[in-house]
Amino acid sequence: MAKTIVEINDVSLTYHETNGETQAIDHLRFSVERGEFVSIVGPSGCGKTSILSLLAGLLQPSAGNIYIEGRPGYMLQRDHLLDWRTIEGNILLGLQVKGLLNERTRAYALSLLKTYGLYDFLHSYPHQLSGGMRQKVALIRTLACSPELLLLDEPFSALDYQTRLTVADEIYGILRREGKTAILVTHDIAEAISMSDRVLVFTGRPARLKSEHRIALGDRTPLKRRNAPEFKEYFDTIWKELDCYAQI
Amino acid sequence: MRKSNPAYSAEHLAFLQGIRRKARFVTAMRYLILVAFLLLWELAANLGWIDPFIASSPGRLAAAILRLYSSGDLFMHIGITLFETIVGFVLGTAIGTLIAILLWWSATLNHILDPYLVVLNALPKVALGPILIVWFGAGMRSIIVMALLISLIVTVMSVLAGFNEITGEKQQLMRTLGANKFQILTMIVLPASVPTIMNALKISVGMSWVGVIMGEYLVSKAGLGYLIVYGSQVFKLDLVMASIVILCVLAAMMYYGVAYLERKIAVWRR
Repeated sequence: MAKTIVEINDVSLTYHETNGETQAIDHLRFSVERGEFVSIVGPSGCGKTSILSLLAGLLQPSAGNIYIEGRPGYMLQRDHLLDWRTIEGNILLGLQVKGLLNERTRAYALSLLKTYGLYDFLHSYPHQLSGGMRQKVALIRTLACSPELLLLDEPFSALDYQTRLTVADEIYGILRREGKTAILVTHDIAEAISMSDRVLVFTGRPARLKSEHRIALGDRTPLKRRNAPEFKEYFDTIWKELDCYAQI
Repeated sequence: MRKSNPAYSAEHLAFLQGIRRKARFVTAMRYLILVAFLLLWELAANLGWIDPFIASSPGRLAAAILRLYSSGDLFMHIGITLFETIVGFVLGTAIGTLIAILLWWSATLNHILDPYLVVLNALPKVALGPILIVWFGAGMRSIIVMALLISLIVTVMSVLAGFNEITGEKQQLMRTLGANKFQILTMIVLPASVPTIMNALKISVGMSWVGVIMGEYLVSKAGLGYLIVYGSQVFKLDLVMASIVILCVLAAMMYYGVAYLERKIAVWRR
């Protein structure tokens, strides 16, 4: 039976600056079930990233409450691998910070590296890896801490188009195999549809939930989903919903 | 694909040879300039174009160094100046980095102290010389404090600027991993600042020399700065110039020492 892992209840968020205050999120409400892959799309600057910051506990909501099971793993736009650490040192960073580094967790992190074909680079430095490989290392760094939930903040936007497609495919595969729940924030509608079980469309600032789309493209990989005939229909529907809010 | 050495094409070999030839030319020119300068100087002194009593000459300079050496004082003077510089430099760097860490830790403290740092940086530290002599005595302690003061503020400011540069996105990463401020400092800020700190070291090596020589001008009874002042007072310009040449060599050695250390530490850089 599906079980709720994240619940956002009437959450509002206001940013305060010397020259005024900005309401970023307005009475937002949604939930995510275990094992689900949910994407959030919305006009740029609508506060999508703020949602992830709230879920990660980096920000506190101005009103409402957030239920979240366990501590989520966070994946940022850029990989932020530490140049002075080897790949091994980089994937163990999260465990070290949390004081969870021991024989067992270390073996798990190394096994992830092995499974996903990066074990040969264990003692390499980040500058020796390609952009796609670096982003995979960043994912393994996040997975090493065994989070149930992953927060993906436009993790492919720094990659060039072809790399983005293949890395998205691979990362999708990794998350499915490891049985993780994921919330992906992106401005790329196609990416959202190709990876998700459900796409949430946000309004412009302040962000509210505009609509919700269940994507029934089955167990296909993101690349294959892009070729499905229904793909274009989903794309058009979501595109239209976003369109009227886009400010050009 | 990159090819290994034996597989290089003739064109590539010619390209490599061109680069080697250029490097040889640069090295040769460097020596040539030095030799030409020394020869011209010696010649000018011998032919009476310049007065060797005032302008000295390479030969007289070498003789002055030899005299110092045979009297057994050469290494005593070098040792004292070197010791003062190294102590001032190490203390300046250590204390400067510590203060930078403190100011990084508390943005409010940094904000409060900012104007004071600016004023201290602008102040010519040499002006404090007389006060230092009264406080620390007319001796080595004053000289070391002078070297320390001159390198300290520069170190604080450049290291802090380096710290604040890497703040931001990498800190965001650490916060998503649940890191506390101390972990951010030791795992991100300090290692990421190694290049900046090394650059600050290169600057403060030079600054420490300035401080020590200024200090020795004011109070010392030994050291290269003392030799320079003493030499000019008794009008032995050979001695003055000889000391300056030794100083040049020492300062350059120390600079390259720091640069060597920098290369050793930063293996992870391209």
